[in-house]
Amino acid sequence: MAGLELLSDQGFRLDGRRPHELRKIQCKMGVFKQADGSAYIEQGNTKALATVYGPHEVTGSRSKIEHDKVLINCQYSMATFSTGERRSRSKGDRKSQEMQLHLKKTFEAAILTQLYPRSQIDIYVQILQADGGNYSACVNAATLAIIDAGIPMKDFVCASTAGFVSDTPIVDISYLEESQGGPELVVALLPKSDQIVEFQVNSRLHLDNFENVLDMAVKGCKDIHAVLSRAVKENVSELASHMNKT
Amino acid sequence: MAETICIPGERLGSVDHYKAGEGTYVRHGFIFSNLAGYKRTTPVDDGEIPELTVVSRKQSSVIPEVRSVVTVKSTHKFCSCAILGVEGKSLRETFRGMIRREDIRATEKDKVEVYKSFRPGDIVLARVLSLGDARSYLLTTAENELGVVLAQSEAGVNLVPISWCEMICPKTHVKELRKVAKVQPDYIQTT
Repeated sequence: MAGLELLSDQGFRLDGRRPHELRKIQCKMGVFKQADGSAYIEQGNTKALATVYGPHEVTGSRSKIEHDKVLINCQYSMATFSTGERRSRSKGDRKSQEMQLHLKKTFEAAILTQLYPRSQIDIYVQILQADGGNYSACVNAATLAIIDAGIPMKDFVCASTAGFVSDTPIVDISYLEESQGGPELVVALLPKSDQIVEFQVNSRLHLDNFENVLDMAVKGCKDIHAVLSRAVKENVSELASHMNKT
Repeated sequence: MAETICIPGERLGSVDHYKAGEGTYVRHGFIFSNLAGYKRTTPVDDGEIPELTVVSRKQSSVIPEVRSVVTVKSTHKFCSCAILGVEGKSLRETFRGMIRREDIRATEKDKVEVYKSFRPGDIVLARVLSLGDARSYLLTTAENELGVVLAQSEAGVNLVPISWCEMICPKTHVKELRKVAKVQPDYIQTT
């Protein structure tokens, strides 16, 4: 690989992490008052904001109404200042449309959609700063926002990425590691039931190594679940103590 | 008793020992939480199995279902209305509903005239008949207990019901025609 050594001889990555280490996660639930649910997450330098509205009556085209389940509407956008180069992005470009579709499929698998027929849930996510793993940051932020909104879900959805550098699988890859052209696995998982809801491989990966890399990504998801569930529990008890005071 | 916090996907117990209540779902014979909140078990008599529920801080949102009683506000001359609440729970946002002319009352359906039953602004109790077409829920008031519960006269005063089809204005003593609901005494809140 030209110039950059993604994994040093001592087994450290460019940002000083070990191969199995996640970036630091910080999250906050209920950041907006006017939305039904909202959350903010930082995974290293990747920052995402999610808001959830609903369930409410279907807006726009009536033909979209589903008679046996709720309609999930996702919107993904990136802030103009989110990347190294400032660029204004049109809302409906190909990349974000693809992302919206992925997010929609992911949450259709996790939300108990049959509870709210003929209604709609809106999920809006925005990337404030992009540093690799945009999809996973969006999924994790949206999960927190949905929980904040009190929408019934089968389980958390946790997403993570994994790469493969010099015969070692590495988890939660950053933009620098992503842009070197190595293989990248994106996995969204229901951690309690071990079900994969979204799976994506970019670039080629030898089948012999596949299992190891997948295991690493799944482990990343479970680690994220541990962090998120602690945050949710703290949030619930904090709100309860607020309610007791008033 | 210390309350246990549970999160979506957490296993709470088996269906052999508990009944799945609100905020939970059943999978492979076990009860799981689907909300973030506190676990509650309802105490029951001997021999029955207790019900497990998860209580969230946010009121779980309801949507109108077939056969549920809804509170609606009539918005238009032609029986279209906004659904405000379902079974005593208020909705965060209104849903559109429609009461067809034939569904206003149970007898003499062909003699019904809409303007003699509802006026815009009336608060009406109705039952969801079907999920209707794509546009709106179909509602009915063809029961004694269903119909107008609150209405204002042209003078802007709350009308007082005098029979099942008439209401009187206490200020001007003008009688107005409405399909009046016979509200069940246990629902009336005396202040």
